[in-house]
Parts: sequence; C-alpha cells; structure tokens
Amino acid sequence: MNRKLFIATSISSALAACSPIGTALNNNEGFHSFLGKAQGLNHALIGTRGMAREYRDADVDRNFRTNGLPTPSDSSYQEMVARGFAPYRLVIDGAVERRRAYSLAQLRGMQQTTQITRHDCVEGWSAIGKWSGVPLRDILADVRPRADAKYAVFYCMDKDDQNTPYYESLDLHEASHPQTLLALRLNDAPLDPDHGAPVRLRVPTQLGYKSAKWVNRIEFVGSFGTIYSGHGGYWEDQGYEWYAGI
Amino acid sequence: MGQKIYRYAVATRLSHWVWVLAFGVLVSSGLQIFNAAPYLDASDKSNPARRVLSIDSPADGVGTTTIFGRTFTTTGWLGFTDDGMGGRSPRAFPGWITIPAYQDLADGRRWHLFFAWVASVCWLAWLISSAIKGNLRDMVLRPADLPKLWPMQAYYLKLRAEPPPHGLYNPLQKAAYTLVGFVIAPLVVITGLALSPGIDAIAQPLTWLLGGRQFARLWHFTSMLLLLGFFAVHTFQVLTQGVFNQMNAMISGWYRLGEHDGVGP
Repeated sequence: MNRKLFIATSISSALAACSPIGTALNNNEGFHSFLGKAQGLNHALIGTRGMAREYRDADVDRNFRTNGLPTPSDSSYQEMVARGFAPYRLVIDGAVERRRAYSLAQLRGMQQTTQITRHDCVEGWSAIGKWSGVPLRDILADVRPRADAKYAVFYCMDKDDQNTPYYESLDLHEASHPQTLLALRLNDAPLDPDHGAPVRLRVPTQLGYKSAKWVNRIEFVGSFGTIYSGHGGYWEDQGYEWYAGI
Repeated sequence: MGQKIYRYAVATRLSHWVWVLAFGVLVSSGLQIFNAAPYLDASDKSNPARRVLSIDSPADGVGTTTIFGRTFTTTGWLGFTDDGMGGRSPRAFPGWITIPAYQDLADGRRWHLFFAWVASVCWLAWLISSAIKGNLRDMVLRPADLPKLWPMQAYYLKLRAEPPPHGLYNPLQKAAYTLVGFVIAPLVVITGLALSPGIDAIAQPLTWLLGGRQFARLWHFTSMLLLLGFFAVHTFQVLTQGVFNQMNAMISGWYRLGEHDGVGP
C-alpha cells in the first residue's frame, strides 16, 4: 500500500509540477522561440485557401462587439469625425509603381462588395457582421506592387496606453484573397468611430486581430523586420502569431 | 510468479510517454486559452442564449460556475482563483493548472499549437509502426469481443470468479483503447481544427457539421473532458492492478503475467 501511495503522490506531484515547470520554460527565450516553430507548419499547411463562410442577413449581430484598443481620442481624429472624414486620406506607398492617397469619397466611388462573415476573435468568441467596401485586390491592381513587395503593412490611427500604435500586415497572397476587404460600412451604415471609421481591414479567413481598424496608410515592403518591434503587427510584437489562420 | 512476456514495443512505450507529456501540456495550455473567453456556447457565433458553461466572477472575491443555467459558487477553484502571480483575481481556471501560470493567451497558444503537433505526429507514427508490426490486432475491439464485454465487467465487479478468455488485452481494455485512440483523440484534433478560421475556409462542411465555431469549441472542451476521464480511470487501473509491474512494462516492455491475465497473442 505504501508503494501505491508513493506512486499516487508521484503522479500528483508530476501534475502539480506541470504549470511551474511550464512557466519556467516559457520564460526561457530559446525554448519560447522554439515553440513558435509550429507557426511555420501551420502557415504552410493551412495558409489562406478556400473561402470563409458567408451568412444571411438574419444572422447578423446588430450590436457588433467592439474589442481591443480604445477608439482614437486625439484632436486630429476628433476633427476628422466632426468634418465627416473630409480630411481623411488613405495613403498607399512603399514598393508600388503608383503611390496613391485616396479620399473617402474616392474609395466610396470604387466598385463596392458586400460580405456577411463571421469575425473570430483569438480570445474565442465570434460575431457576424455585414461588411461593405473595396476589395483590397482592387487597390493592389490600382497601385501595382513592385516585384520586391512581399507584404502590405497597415498603419492605424489607434494607440495603446503606452502610445504604441496599432498596425498589421498581410503577405500579398492574403492581401489578394477575394474576401480581404477594406471595409467602409458595417451592417448597412458607414463605419462608426468605435468600429474603425472611416476604413478598417476585414480578413475573414484569419483571427480578428488581423482585421485592423482605423487604417490610414498601407505600405508595401519586402520585409517587416524593421517596422516597430519587427513581428509584423501590434499583437504579433506581443507574442501572438503572425499567421492567424488557426 | 507468472511468466514474463514482451508486451510493449519500443514505439508503443515511447509514444505512450510522449503522449503523457503532450496531454499534460495540451490540457494546461488549453485551459489557459479557455480563460480568455471563459464560456461555451452551443452555437456558431457567440450567443449567450445558448450558453452551456460559463465561469465568472460576479463580484470581487467571488467565483461562480454556471452549467446549463444552474449557478454554483466555486470561489478559489473556478472564477476567482490563483492568478499565478501570488494573488487571487477574477480568472476561470487557476494558475496552478495553466501554462504559463499567469494569464497569457499568446503564450498559451504557442504551447498548445506546438504540442498539438507533437501529439498528432506521435499518434501517426505509432499508428504506422503498430500497423506494420501487427500490434494493432491485439488492441482493436472486434465484433467477437462484444459478447465478452459484460462478463469482463462482471469480473471487475466481483460478480464472476474468472475473466472471459482473451488475448493480450481484455475486451474492456480493447474497448477503451479503441474508443480513445480512434474516436476521442481524432475528435479532439478535428474539433480543435474546426474552430480555426483558416480551416473553416478550407473545410466549411466540417465546422458546419459540428454546429459552428462556438459549438466546435464546446466539442473540443468536451472531448478533452472525455480524455481526462480516460486518464483518471487508466491511472486508477494502473495503481490497483500491480503498479510496479505495469510501470516497469511501459518502460522496459516486459510484463509479468498475472493469474487472470490472458496468455498473450
């Protein structure tokens, strides 16, 4: 019986040691980055293929959940809101043949598409919205990324409490996906400030943090290694995967 | 003292211990991920009206768990728990059971997605190796085993003096191994994949078949509980059925037959 007690104690101790040992390993930089290797496999095997499910009008969440960084509160954003986003420009630059600065009216004048898709947050919850706007691939066709362009980096107007701005990036394959959208409208109304007005990204094939709000510049680059902390996005710089399809 | 037989091939022993490690990490990191949205809905999009489980902290210092609409106070265990940093805070599963101990969704995902690969590749390697060597025949439940299930259970319940005649594994073991290895373990992988937007885009019918993304999350959690249940029974059996013989067998491969064990293949 003592032997059984010994084994039972050993098993419970092994279970109880799981979390502290895991935490210690987690704080080891080499081990931490080794764990990140799974991302390459997931990106290669899953990637961005197929189409996100499209829903019916009846499925839409009318009060679409907001999450993440707070709505920009600086005076220039407030002024833009007050003036119906007349001063807003979406700047496209970097490795493109034709740099552009679209006004909101110009974006609204382009061919619009609508999708009713599910927004899947990395936290686990999901909400369904009806999004309308310009397919990002139409912008790509207009500005024509050069051969050295590998990624589109999306700069945003929101900042965290440390004044670190939000940003995101997609590779050109993901950026050209037919459902990757520069959304101007949510649920049959122009985007409101809390949902990323006037322009947000919508990437229904990946987790929600890819769908950056308050986008005002898209830069085409060969590598994002020198941008902010170099991981290709605000949450990526804090340890989240750049490939967010899983 | 019974006769010693070589019961477990190297691949079986190695994959067994890799799974012990991977399962521990996957449960702890999975609970870490769960903590970021500590509720489960039987629906596609989040829908509080279809909430099956919810772990909350309705007031400072109080933890509650609501299952099918019934709320229980679970302070200290669920809802308001060890925060992994020396204190207590609103947190569904306590820090002593999560990896890392403190709240960190990004790192929980990092562990989870890495060890999901470890467990899956290990399962595939074990399956191929066992199929080639023919070991699978000993452990997969067959129609001929079905009439022996109850007699075996009766023997365990001491309603019968002798177990029914059987091979290397008894019919209940075969049933458990077949269910876990070929139903629940694949289910836990499939439901995990189905709740990912990238997989949903590739295999829409899969997520739809499971009832949608939140439902897939519920199935994923449920299949984890089933695996935990197997783990509990399995550990109990090992502890009560000659623990040193069993542990030694899973390390060295050699198992000493007991008087009621089958005689081998």
